[in-house]
Amino acid sequence: MAEIGVVASAGPEVVDARRGAESAPPLEGGVPPDETRQTYPVLFTGRAGEYFRIWIVNLALTIVTFGVYSAWAKVRKRRYLYGHTRVADEGFEYRAKPLPILVGRLIALAGLAAIVAADTLVPALAANPLLRRLVFLVVLAIAGPWIVVRSLRFNARNTAYRNVRFRFAGRYVDGLKIVAVYCWLPLFPIAYPRFKRRVVEFGAENHFYGGTRFSLLDAFRTPFVNAYAIAYGWTFLVLLVYAIGVAYYASIHVKWAIVPLALALYVGFGLGIAFIRARTVNAIWNNLRVGGVRFTSSLRARDLIALYASNVVVLVLTLGLATPWAVVRVHRYRASKTTMIASGSLDEFVQAEADHVGAAGEEIGEMLDFDISL
Amino acid sequence: MTEFDAIYYDGRTSARNPVRVRAAGELLHIAGASLAIDIPLTTARVDPPLPGMPRALRFGDGASLHTDDKAAIDALFPPPGRVHALAQALESRWLYALGGIAVVVAFGAWCIVYGLPLAAAVAARFVPQEAERSLGEHALATIDRTLCRASASTPARREAVLADFRMLTAGTAGADHYRLELRQCRGIGPNAFALPGGIVVVTDQLLRVLPDDAQVSAVLAHEIGHVAHRHALRGALQAAGAAALVSAVAGDAVSITSLAATVPTMLLQRGYSRRFEDEADTFAFAKLEQVGISPHAFAQALTALERAHPASQAGRESAMDYLSTHPATARRIARALKAD
Repeated sequence: MAEIGVVASAGPEVVDARRGAESAPPLEGGVPPDETRQTYPVLFTGRAGEYFRIWIVNLALTIVTFGVYSAWAKVRKRRYLYGHTRVADEGFEYRAKPLPILVGRLIALAGLAAIVAADTLVPALAANPLLRRLVFLVVLAIAGPWIVVRSLRFNARNTAYRNVRFRFAGRYVDGLKIVAVYCWLPLFPIAYPRFKRRVVEFGAENHFYGGTRFSLLDAFRTPFVNAYAIAYGWTFLVLLVYAIGVAYYASIHVKWAIVPLALALYVGFGLGIAFIRARTVNAIWNNLRVGGVRFTSSLRARDLIALYASNVVVLVLTLGLATPWAVVRVHRYRASKTTMIASGSLDEFVQAEADHVGAAGEEIGEMLDFDISL
Repeated sequence: MTEFDAIYYDGRTSARNPVRVRAAGELLHIAGASLAIDIPLTTARVDPPLPGMPRALRFGDGASLHTDDKAAIDALFPPPGRVHALAQALESRWLYALGGIAVVVAFGAWCIVYGLPLAAAVAARFVPQEAERSLGEHALATIDRTLCRASASTPARREAVLADFRMLTAGTAGADHYRLELRQCRGIGPNAFALPGGIVVVTDQLLRVLPDDAQVSAVLAHEIGHVAHRHALRGALQAAGAAALVSAVAGDAVSITSLAATVPTMLLQRGYSRRFEDEADTFAFAKLEQVGISPHAFAQALTALERAHPASQAGRESAMDYLSTHPATARRIARALKAD
């Protein structure tokens, strides 16, 4: 969900180039087609020290208030991170109110408690692991799309740039349809990348900036699915080497030799994850369009692995206190690898009709709207 | 009179309008290249400030003003809401941040030492015995499929051990659910372990290493202690709690580095299982005394098992103690002898 979240909150992240514009034949009369084209770098101006103070104070307040403050904390942290993500001299805005987030968290907590209670208190489930797994899959299949659609909608509605809101128009039934089409997935996990591709398309193409819909060029599909294919091949190779290593060390009876092997396994998996992340994010953002705006994203797997690995080491050494530093680093890296390219003015995006409703309508909408994503 | 530069967005389009704003009486005069508007000051709301970010004013019609002139905004509007004012005041100083660290670290430490074990013990009370038992049955079935076969010990020995087991469990709450399973297992050597719900498994190898039935009883009493205290269940609940705690602190970074969360969780688990072993030992000492077996038998059993496991060496106290699932054997033997 985190990856969709990135597309979804289309706010503080990336941009690519319009392939069409680049390969388009020059216009008649010799006028360069890109006369009005302008490239804007994405900047992240947040600072680790500043964010640390916000983070630690809000965490402490959350503890002191037995978790109630966590919704306020989320808003403050998000506002900081969004606001410091800047393009064309303007930052993104996170406008969510804390109360709907708190309500969403309470609902999520109740749902979780219900699941745990059902799991432990219904003897039929405890006695039959197959039934238990089936029930959980069904619950996940029905509740999953609802949660995803809900939180995409909430986050989009509460993200703005230049005082124009984003919007997510995907419907629960459409999410449910994707799940229905791919319900055989647990039997054929190899098809996961196609499922993921479908989910990304659903997420991206239902987003609007004001009244302007995002679109994802079909060209994104091949690099997206290929990233998974390559990573799967790599993982297989890593496992093979690991198995051979284990067999070899078992034959020479050196017990501690398992340690470097396990370490190699971790590093191998980490490389695979970083590779998928870099390639899929690039594939999505390089093919995303909204009006005359496109983006470029040039994340590199080796940068990501260095970033993740150093974050892990520092987080463990600081007992998690370096979390804000790690978050700021990742945001800064992503911003530095992203640009927005606009052919035409950025001034002409129009606020969606629905958002012209008065403040009262907005408040009611807000009461019914809550953020379920934790 | 306050004046400041700002960017005006009308809320209908993304058009960016650099403007000069002048506050006069109850009105804000907003003037730019192609616009001149007057808006009553009272219709404006101010976003709570955050460090390094421009201030934003919002108007009833959806328009907004963004400005870097913080002093002007502070002069025109009262500070926003008490909650935000408090958060902002606390966030603005390193001294308060240090206080925040103290609160977070103290809470984290309390959770690890007292909170999680307590919460797990309470939560365990809400888990019905049947659920726990069926977990145990499944664990046993899995073990039988992968590691173990039926015991090959002599029927006489098996009978003797079973009789001792019945004697040790008699009088314990829920005694009729306790069950001893003898097995011949590959790869786990002389061993005994308790499964959730009341099943205690003892390997043939253990019976060979401990020819004295009193010593076997000492081991059985320890395992019965695990069952009576529901350690398997509490351990699982504590693991879930530890994972939740780690993600509460490092949650913002966890999507980035979920691997980082596994290491501390693992270390916490080790510390907890060590505490469980101590608890089971204490139970065993009392039980043995009750049935008239000297705790010396416990010490002898540990010594014999230690010798049979060449990998584990006695006397590795201190740091290793916290990294291993069982407390160093020398310390346990000392406790057993003291219990006498």
